[in-house]
Amino acid sequence: MKPLIQGSIVAVIFITLWLAISNINWVEIFKVEKSTDDIEVKLGDIFWDAISENEKINTNNYVNTIVDSIVNDICTSNQIDKAFLKVHIIQKDDINAFALPNGHLVIYSGLIKNCDNPEELAGVISHEIAHIQLNHVMKKLIQEIGLSVLISVTVGNTGSEVLSEITHLLSSTAYGRTIEKEADLKAVDYMIKAKINPENLANFLYKLAENENNITAYLTWISTHPESKERSKYIIEYAKNKSKKFKKIITNSSWETLQKEI
Amino acid sequence: MIQKKEFPYKPSEHEAESASNSYLMSVIAIIIGLPLPIVNLIATAIFFLGNRKATYFVRWHCTQALLSQLSMFFINSFGFWWTVSIIFSDETITNSYIGYIISVIIFNIVEFITTIYTAIQTRKGIHIQWHFFGELTQLICKSNRNN
Repeated sequence: MKPLIQGSIVAVIFITLWLAISNINWVEIFKVEKSTDDIEVKLGDIFWDAISENEKINTNNYVNTIVDSIVNDICTSNQIDKAFLKVHIIQKDDINAFALPNGHLVIYSGLIKNCDNPEELAGVISHEIAHIQLNHVMKKLIQEIGLSVLISVTVGNTGSEVLSEITHLLSSTAYGRTIEKEADLKAVDYMIKAKINPENLANFLYKLAENENNITAYLTWISTHPESKERSKYIIEYAKNKSKKFKKIITNSSWETLQKEI
Repeated sequence: MIQKKEFPYKPSEHEAESASNSYLMSVIAIIIGLPLPIVNLIATAIFFLGNRKATYFVRWHCTQALLSQLSMFFINSFGFWWTVSIIFSDETITNSYIGYIISVIIFNIVEFITTIYTAIQTRKGIHIQWHFFGELTQLICKSNRNN
């Protein structure tokens, strides 16, 4: 009995000490978040510079304004800091969209062209915003590249090959099933709050999965996001009992003009 | 925390040296093995196994050293793998994590100092019984009539 009591006393001392020390805001004292944020800002700029050097950026005012208004609508309805997001449209036929560190959201014109309506585009954008808001980008980088390599990228100690490989990792590979599902469901929440029918995201996934064999070469977004039909199903299932009050995010004429201009 | 107690018999010079070595073994292994938490446990376990047939005094202190290292092993391992998960996975540094690591460091320092003190006292033939680990050793380690 005595060792049991003494053992419990040791355990209680340890746990009390741990809890007491944990009450101090060490993260603030050691500026953990600030240093992580600094790394993220630098990485975002480095990767975006690498992409913008090799790709043609769409500078059409109309296209950028419309896409921006969709992003703005989703952000405003979900209390997301729009200023943090930096939306870029790349003129390329690939059906792709991806997020970079520090809120860079890259959308390919091929993806916009392949959306049947603005709500499908809003669905894809919501999914990418979810990746950004849930900090999936940095998590993926740390997991697959390692913090030490990322820090060496920020101080310029890596060659262009490493940089292009990391950029490829972010633009052309998925996050893994659990994280993708988390982003899908978050996207549904965003869409519902913005009064956009989440079925459009499911439709987009389903449609591309159906056409996969015909246009695989351009289907980066879908081919890097596995089990598209399954995703489409759980999106429908998750959204089933949620709000039914939906609106058109932009007018038909604006959408038609966007499709012409892109 | 620690108490000087009467041992059933007065240990010889050789016994005191062997018993003291069981603590020194863990201290040296801690220095070599950091940050891997297993090295000191392995070292103490090897010393313990090597002294299974030694005299009661030596066995008693080998057991106390092993038990203390075993508990530190669990505490340190948890901190070690938590750190690994932060470096290699999507875990983030939180106040709980830093609090845990500081607590582990405090416990390790206390254990380190206690181990050195016990090693010195045991070398003089003085029987030192630790809080909790001493009582546990008392239950596990039984005296042989021959000793």
